[in-house]
Amino acid sequence: MSLETTIDRVEGDETIAIIALDGELDASNFESVIETARGLYDEGVRRLVIDLEKLRFMASSGLVTLHSIVRIMHGEEPLDPEGGWATLHSLEGDKQSEVRLAAPQPAIERVLTRTGLDRMFIVHAYRDAAIAAI
Amino acid sequence: MALDLDAVVAPFREVGGALSVAIEDEAGMPVASTSADAAPATATVRGIAAGALAGGVVRLWGNGVDGALGGAIAESIAASLAAVPPSEPAADPRVAAHARLIESELAHGRTLQRSFVSLIPPEVPGYDVAAHYEAAREVGGDFFDLFRLRRRGHPLSVVIADVTGKGIAAALLMAFSRPLLHAAIDHTAGPAEALERTNRILVEERRSSLFITALAARLDLRTGRFRVANAGHEPPLLVRADGSPIGCLLGSGPLIGAFGRLDVPEVETDLAPGDLILLYTDGVTDARSPAGERFDEWRLIETVQGVRDGTAQEVVAAVSETVCAFQEPAEPADDITIVAIRRLPARS
Repeated sequence: MSLETTIDRVEGDETIAIIALDGELDASNFESVIETARGLYDEGVRRLVIDLEKLRFMASSGLVTLHSIVRIMHGEEPLDPEGGWATLHSLEGDKQSEVRLAAPQPAIERVLTRTGLDRMFIVHAYRDAAIAAI
Repeated sequence: MALDLDAVVAPFREVGGALSVAIEDEAGMPVASTSADAAPATATVRGIAAGALAGGVVRLWGNGVDGALGGAIAESIAASLAAVPPSEPAADPRVAAHARLIESELAHGRTLQRSFVSLIPPEVPGYDVAAHYEAAREVGGDFFDLFRLRRRGHPLSVVIADVTGKGIAAALLMAFSRPLLHAAIDHTAGPAEALERTNRILVEERRSSLFITALAARLDLRTGRFRVANAGHEPPLLVRADGSPIGCLLGSGPLIGAFGRLDVPEVETDLAPGDLILLYTDGVTDARSPAGERFDEWRLIETVQGVRDGTAQEVVAAVSETVCAFQEPAEPADDITIVAIRRLPARS
C-alpha cells in the first residue's frame, strides 16, 4: 500500500509543477496527495501535470484526489462549504486545462472512463507532451 | 525525516529466518509489531522503523529464532531513533485512552452502519435473491437497497453504492444518501433520472468532498427486463443460463457528486429463466492478498464460474469466502457488498 510522490519543477516557470505518482493511490494515501497539491498552490503553482506512468492502481478515493486537485488549482478549497461546487459548475462543458494527466496505464484509464472523470481532463500520452502543452 | 531507514536496515539485508519484533509506546500500547516466518528481514524492519517514526516510539524489543538477531535489530533501530530529535511531544496516557475511545466509537459506527442495511431481501416471486454485506473495521461507505416499487407489477428496485473514502465521513454520507436515493427512485420514471436527482441534491445541498459510485436498476419481474443506470460503479456481471462466458453489463456515467449534471446512460438486458446477475462493490475487486496482489475482476469471474449453477446464496457465499480467504490473515480493508439475483427457471 505504498505510494511515492515525486515533484518536479519546470525551469524558468514557477507556476508549473509535475507530480509523478509511483505505486498505488488508495484510501490510505489519497489525502496526502491533495495536501501536496495544496502546498504547491501555496508556493505559486497554478498549472499541474500529474504523471501517472508508474501508477499501478487507483481506488475510487483516488478520484477524490484528482477532483480536489483541480479545485485547488482553481483557487478553491475542496471543503469550502460556500464555493466548492460552484467552480465545478463553471467547468461543465469544457475540459479544464490547468491540471493535465500524463501517461495513464490502461487500468487507470479504465477507472477514469468508468467514473466519468475523463471528461474533466486532457490526457496526454507522454509526460513531456503534457508539460509542453500546459 | 532524519532517520535513514536504509542505513538502519543495511546490516540485516542478507538475513532471512524467523523474526518477531514489537514496538510499544510509553503507555504500553503497541505501535508496531510483526512476526514473519522466513520472510526477508529487510522489509520487516523497514516497516517497523517507519511505524516507529510515525508513532513516536520510546521502547522496543525483538526476538527471533536467533534471539541475538532480534535484539541486534531492535538495538539498531533504537540507536537510530535515539539520533532523531523527537518531532512530537512524548506519548501521553490520555492519547492511549483516546485511541481506545475511538476504537469503541468505530465499533458503534459499524453496528449502526449494519443496521442501515437489511440483509433480508424482499419477497420476489420467480426470483432467487441473496446479499452479503460486511463492514470494514474502519467503517466504510457501502450500501445496498432492494425493494419493491409501488407501481404496476411492483418491479424490484436494486441499488448498490459505495461512498469513496473511509471513516465516519463516508459512513455519514452513506446514511444520508441511502434514503435520498430510495426516495428518488420511488418518485422518478427510471433509474437514470433517480441518480440524476440524487446527484443534484447532493451537489447543491450537501457540498461534500466525497463521491458516491452508485448503480440503480429496475427489474420487471414478469419479463425479466433489467434496466440499469450506472454512476461510476463496478459493472455488474451477467451469468447466462445457456453457459456462455460470463460478461459485464457495461455503460456508465460519472460518479455522483463530481459534476452538476450526470448524463448517465440507461442500459438494459433481459434475464432469461436461469440467468443470474451479480452486483458488487470495489471491496471485492480491490481486496488485497498478503503478497500485495489485488483480487481483481478476473478472480471474481473465475470464482463465479465455479458456482454459476448454484443458488444465489451459494454464489454470494462463494465470492465472499474466496475474497476473505484471499486476504487472510488480514481483515477486510474495505466494506464488501455482493448481491446476486437469479431468475428462476420455469417449472416444467
